[in-house]
Amino acid sequence: MDFIVTFPALVAGRLVLALSPLTHYLRDDHLLSSPLTSYSRLQEGIYLFKHGIDPYSGSTFRHSPLLLSLFSTVIPLNEVTAAFLWTASDALAAWSLVRIWRARQNVSSSSRDSLIAGLYLLNPYTFLPSLGQSTSSFENALCLLSLMLACQKQASASLLALAFLIQLSLPSILLLLPLLLLLISEPTSHLASPFFFKTDIRRITPLAGQFAAYILLLSGAATLVCGNLNWVEKTWGASLTLPDLTPNPGLWWYFFTEMFDHFRPFFLIVFSVHLLIYVLPLCIKFQHDILYACYLLLGILSIFKAYPTLSDPGLFLSMLSLFPETFPYLHHPIVTALLHLHAALLLPLFHYLWLNQGTGNANFFYASTLVFGMANGAALLDSIWAGLRIAIGEVKEEHEVLQE
Amino acid sequence: MRLSVKSFLCSLCLGTLAVARLSEEFNEELHLRPLPDGKLAARFSFSTLLKGATPRHPETLGVEDESQLYTLFPLALGQILREYAVTELHLTLNAGNWNYDRWGYPDEPGVGTGAELWAWMGEGGTVTVDSRWRGLRNALAGLFCASLGSLDEQRTTSPVLTFQPEGSLPNGNASYQLRHATLPSEHVCTENLTPFLKLLPCKSLSGIASLLNPHKLFDADWHGLGVHVRYLESAGVEVRLAFQAVFDPVRAASDKRRDWSLSAVFDRRIERVCPVARSSVIRVRLPQNEVYAIIPSPSTMDKTYATYIVQEVGKPLDVAIIRPEETLFEYLIEPQTHISVHRTLNGASQHAGQLALTITNNHDIQLQTGYLETMPWLLQFYLHTLHAHIDGMPRDDLVKLISYIPPLPHVQPALLQAVLTLPPKTTLWLTMDVVKPFLAYTEHPPDAQRGWDLPPAVFVPFASQNGSETDSDPQLHAVLSDVRSTRMYTPVLLVDLATPDFSMPYNVIIMSCTLIALIFGMVFNLLTRQFVVVRVGEQSS
Amino acid sequence: MPPAILIKIRKYLRPDGDKNAIRIRRRRKLIGALWASLPSVIVVLLAVGYLWMLSIPFPALGQRTYIDENALQPGQVNTHWNWDDVHRADRYLEALEQLRDRNASSVEVADYLATEFRRAGLSADTQEYSFFTTNGSKTGVNAYATFSSPRASGTEAMVISASWLSRTGEGDGTLNLRGVSTVLSLAWFLRGYSLWAKDLIFVVSDGYLEGMQAWVTEYHGVSQPNLQAEPLRLSSGVIWTALNIDYPGHSFSHLGVFFEGLNGRLPNQDLINSFQRISLYTGGVPMLVYDHRDDVEILGLPSWTPESIRDNSELKEYARRAKNVVRHVAYQARGQASGVHGLLHQFRIDAITLFAVPATGPHGFHAIGRIVESTLRTMNNLLERLHASFFFFLLVGPTTFLKIGSFLPSAVLISVAMMFCGLQGWVKAGWVWMLDEAQATKDEKVHKRVGNGRWSRRQRPVLKAVMVMAATHGLGVVVFYLLTRSWYLHNSTVAPLLVSSLLAVLPLTSLLLLPKQPAQEAPLPVMLKSLNLCLTSTVISILSVLNFSLAAVIAFLTGVPLCYASSSARSELRIAKYMAYTTLAFGWVALQRYEVLKAVANWELLGVWFAPFMCIVYAPLVLQAALVCLLPSESA
Repeated sequence: MDFIVTFPALVAGRLVLALSPLTHYLRDDHLLSSPLTSYSRLQEGIYLFKHGIDPYSGSTFRHSPLLLSLFSTVIPLNEVTAAFLWTASDALAAWSLVRIWRARQNVSSSSRDSLIAGLYLLNPYTFLPSLGQSTSSFENALCLLSLMLACQKQASASLLALAFLIQLSLPSILLLLPLLLLLISEPTSHLASPFFFKTDIRRITPLAGQFAAYILLLSGAATLVCGNLNWVEKTWGASLTLPDLTPNPGLWWYFFTEMFDHFRPFFLIVFSVHLLIYVLPLCIKFQHDILYACYLLLGILSIFKAYPTLSDPGLFLSMLSLFPETFPYLHHPIVTALLHLHAALLLPLFHYLWLNQGTGNANFFYASTLVFGMANGAALLDSIWAGLRIAIGEVKEEHEVLQE
Repeated sequence: MRLSVKSFLCSLCLGTLAVARLSEEFNEELHLRPLPDGKLAARFSFSTLLKGATPRHPETLGVEDESQLYTLFPLALGQILREYAVTELHLTLNAGNWNYDRWGYPDEPGVGTGAELWAWMGEGGTVTVDSRWRGLRNALAGLFCASLGSLDEQRTTSPVLTFQPEGSLPNGNASYQLRHATLPSEHVCTENLTPFLKLLPCKSLSGIASLLNPHKLFDADWHGLGVHVRYLESAGVEVRLAFQAVFDPVRAASDKRRDWSLSAVFDRRIERVCPVARSSVIRVRLPQNEVYAIIPSPSTMDKTYATYIVQEVGKPLDVAIIRPEETLFEYLIEPQTHISVHRTLNGASQHAGQLALTITNNHDIQLQTGYLETMPWLLQFYLHTLHAHIDGMPRDDLVKLISYIPPLPHVQPALLQAVLTLPPKTTLWLTMDVVKPFLAYTEHPPDAQRGWDLPPAVFVPFASQNGSETDSDPQLHAVLSDVRSTRMYTPVLLVDLATPDFSMPYNVIIMSCTLIALIFGMVFNLLTRQFVVVRVGEQSS
Repeated sequence: MPPAILIKIRKYLRPDGDKNAIRIRRRRKLIGALWASLPSVIVVLLAVGYLWMLSIPFPALGQRTYIDENALQPGQVNTHWNWDDVHRADRYLEALEQLRDRNASSVEVADYLATEFRRAGLSADTQEYSFFTTNGSKTGVNAYATFSSPRASGTEAMVISASWLSRTGEGDGTLNLRGVSTVLSLAWFLRGYSLWAKDLIFVVSDGYLEGMQAWVTEYHGVSQPNLQAEPLRLSSGVIWTALNIDYPGHSFSHLGVFFEGLNGRLPNQDLINSFQRISLYTGGVPMLVYDHRDDVEILGLPSWTPESIRDNSELKEYARRAKNVVRHVAYQARGQASGVHGLLHQFRIDAITLFAVPATGPHGFHAIGRIVESTLRTMNNLLERLHASFFFFLLVGPTTFLKIGSFLPSAVLISVAMMFCGLQGWVKAGWVWMLDEAQATKDEKVHKRVGNGRWSRRQRPVLKAVMVMAATHGLGVVVFYLLTRSWYLHNSTVAPLLVSSLLAVLPLTSLLLLPKQPAQEAPLPVMLKSLNLCLTSTVISILSVLNFSLAAVIAFLTGVPLCYASSSARSELRIAKYMAYTTLAFGWVALQRYEVLKAVANWELLGVWFAPFMCIVYAPLVLQAALVCLLPSESA
């Protein structure tokens, strides 16, 4: 199918859905939007801001001041504009995904373009949150945009995009190192033929400096917008100290709901640091194909970040379509798929049983989040295996590949 | 000689007594009025005036305080007032819902369910207002055996618009601060009444106070006790102890009729007067245009009131009203107040809901009312969804937001003050979406599944602020005169928050950590171990 | 020198050669063994599942009921309901009968009730409502009253309700006059006590179900698009528990309890258990599950059957329990409320209906009044919402029930079998046993010998299969749309045939659309079957938590057919199979018209998702199996 035809068609379809009353039912769903990304809370923040009350003096509003200033000055946020905005952000994300694919294949256009766009736009994990108008779709869009720009070697633009992304959600800082490396290496697929990192590693220092400058700039702007530094603790602090225990598909919320008070700080540190552990090893192991490392890190984030929504694993799964060469080497795709199917059905059901019908208790939903964690974990592990296994290639009859 | 000494001592102490009595005076009053729905409202009021006294100034908190010798004035309370330099203090402990629609305005305005404490305190000096407020809470908690200690920062606000001082504040209001807190889940009972009686000069041995019989009082449909301390520029410091109750003679009586008497209602009569009381009066509001008999004959009597001066009438005193020819009593349901308010928390889900108020203006003139919500962080407002409707038509213009302080978990409650305009004879629908937070398992009370009590909202109706209309319309005058500054409390709400499983902590720690460790371990396995190709086929042997 | 045996063992445990190779060989052996035994495993799982289902009513599985929540303390109070109250109830009954005889409008009735409540000293009001559904609109007027208890803060409330129409024959028009007069008399009686910790709400709802639906949705401020109802002017606290009184007959011998709520939600079992104890020990009235009298001759066996079977107590007990289970499944699977109480369930209110089973005696107002009073006192004791996880149960008798652990596995086992079957299909689709050219020509026996061929990979047409499945579910949506149109409801004869024929024909198009698939790709039916089985198994196992009966029914219907759906070489056989499966999928459209109408009505009035589920989930799944049979198996 021709990309020029299908892509607008898909986006148009999405727009129709976004304008439907469906959004009202999805808006406050805990699976689709976390306290950091919920549309209602964003509205509340804007309302307070417009009425001269510091939105960060309360605990409801945890969005970035940049969004606050954007929606309170440039774009008025209402049903219609929201529908267009969120659809646009998804379109942008899908388009960037396609561009990444092209850059990776080193072609100007390919037959898989529409498929890849479709896999992002029709992936329920990504399009339900954006129907629920959770700002996590913005995060996805920014993430893919910065990756795309990095693939096209537009250093400053890509770093700026990343800086914006980090303004929205702190954990994405994990992507910094691989992104810098990606900027000085090739996006094309080298999974099958590993090699040591050729280019001089010192070249990333100026880029890092540039990035720091952007971060400072944006933070300064944010501070200017709300007049004080409350926003730091309310937005970035939230993903480190977990002040809001609203359920989400992640692993943090119930753990810290049930945590003894005196262990809380310890485990908070452990959970936060644990995220950082993965960055270096993945970058070293996949130094021949940094894009793949980025992809894996997104998988890690989707499992372990503090306030995940369905759109985080959605991004990870949609990016899988960039690496068709690894498909034959996947260990157990059907098991992973079934785990995801179960989790996807269990999460909303048990959420309903616990909070609405009152026949189930919190453990039901917690169990389903564990299943979801397993599903994402299985997907991650399988893609790591396939990414490494591909290097050995087909073995002949009577032989098998294993690790020891 | 001996005798003279005795007499001298005697005269001395008598003298001191006399001196003391000059500077203090004690009045007691019982106000009984039949309510439109057949109930009987009784209000006891015992006021002690400390003449010429002024509340302690906070600056003097550091230095030694002058000694306090009272004969009538309750010492325990007095010491607390001096200790924390409290200028004005109001404490009410109520049980039940005051039904404004059926009972009209109460004699004592503070009828919010549970405990309510508010105090005006001067600023300055070494000790901050907040620390004194904390001390005051705990001291009163000790004095009245109530859990006022839990009226902590998470429930304390300063809604100055609604809670203006009832007395006067020495040297200007500029440097005075209000502290206000409510605890809806507090229940008043005998253990609160006993210390309350101890503060009275005659305890419950004689005078009107002897009618305070716990067995009957705490069986009433509604009952509450209050302590009100205020400073009157001209007179001095006044402590007023009040007890208010709504009895149901129909329920009590065997023949299910409305007739009542002191002995029937309180199961006691007034045997003797309280010697130290300067005045002790029983005022009975007489039923209008009904056939009735009142015994014994009162001291004075007019159309609306029969008054008994307890000192004068014969003892034992047992006031009674009898309606000889009433058989079946038809209840009256006409709303008795200028506005009637209903507040509900809609929706059955445990993570979101909707706060809905219906405010009806029962008058045919436009009224305005102040609207106050002091909401603990257990319920969080989406202020942008605050909308007003009048029979389906959006009328957001009728809501004027005065101030809003958003809540902070574990730190402060939300404070919402607004002014609503009520067109004549209409019902205003006010809705606002709310979210319910999720608490850690240590923050839940033992009966977690019951939910949390939320404090009542407070309404202060007043007529529209355009002078010309006010002057022209006599009816409006009438309304204004009794509408002004009567607080109306809505019933309290119950919000049920989602609960975690309280038996799970270890399991959760174990399971979550296992999953994380598994993924972590397998990732590093894959990354570190090396690949080998092995020949599997059977060796040719 | 160790003995030879030891050496042997060591050699077996640690043979020489490459460790990894050995491990892999072991693993392959293991997998081979599993693979070989898989078909039998599936058969066993299916058999066990089905047998378990049949054995649910066996007395061995059940256990005695008990009170879990200590606060309830059922039957520990002296009841005060006496003959004056009974007399008052009788007087109300006369008045109501007069209203009935001069068939008064619902407005008149509601006004009468409201005034009576007011005269009792409660604040009372009426509520008008009207529903708009595809087949006309339903209107009525509810009457309700609130009693704010002395000294209570009014944050919690209990509901005592009665619907104007009795539940006899699911609201066939029998009036519930005695139930209503009981409620009125109770209102007079209960307000005379100051011991209530919760407010009391008395509701007399018009119609059978719709009245209460209008009242309860308005009470919780939930708006329903096709419902126009007056907002309630009187409000009270949070409702935890409710009793619905249904007393149609002149007098009664037993009190039956109905408990199924909308969409298969059950009340907390403590409520039923405490009611059972109170009814028996306070009121002296034995409780029944539903209106199943336990004294009647249960198994209607013909006379020629031997005595030993006919009055075998075990067998009778089995039959009795089976009857209850079947009734329960019939309610729960359809997501249908077995009484007015069921509507309250949607707002986390634990409610049951007391059904006075009509009989010539001996009990009347006196017994039911005392029982209700005592039950209310028990509910009044509650300090917290009923929360012990006591919501998953199967009440097989008045005093015996099944814990979740003893009935859930029956459905889950079947779904596991289907899952295995699906995975087997997945492997079959991915790998094919290629024979070497040499053997290819030889006769059957040689083929059976292992080792002459080898497994070779082939591509799986996943995308195609998924598209087909999506198409079938799309078809399901279309069907649901058609069934909820008014023309379908109105022309009763043509529409069902039309729809069903459409359903039969439309999938055939897949045959034409099917492109000639490349040889190295697995045949579509295999792929489709595997995915279909995986999906079905997931749906069943997850549904079993939400609504066991529905899950069980679906497992029962689809278990064997889906597992053994297969295409065949002969086309007429394929068509026959296809027809059979389509009947299983969509037969109800043509055959069960009444059921369809009821389901649709429930969906529109009460939001019961049974109808959409059947159309959009169940039928398409079976239809996929039908396609599996229809499509040509080998591309060759």
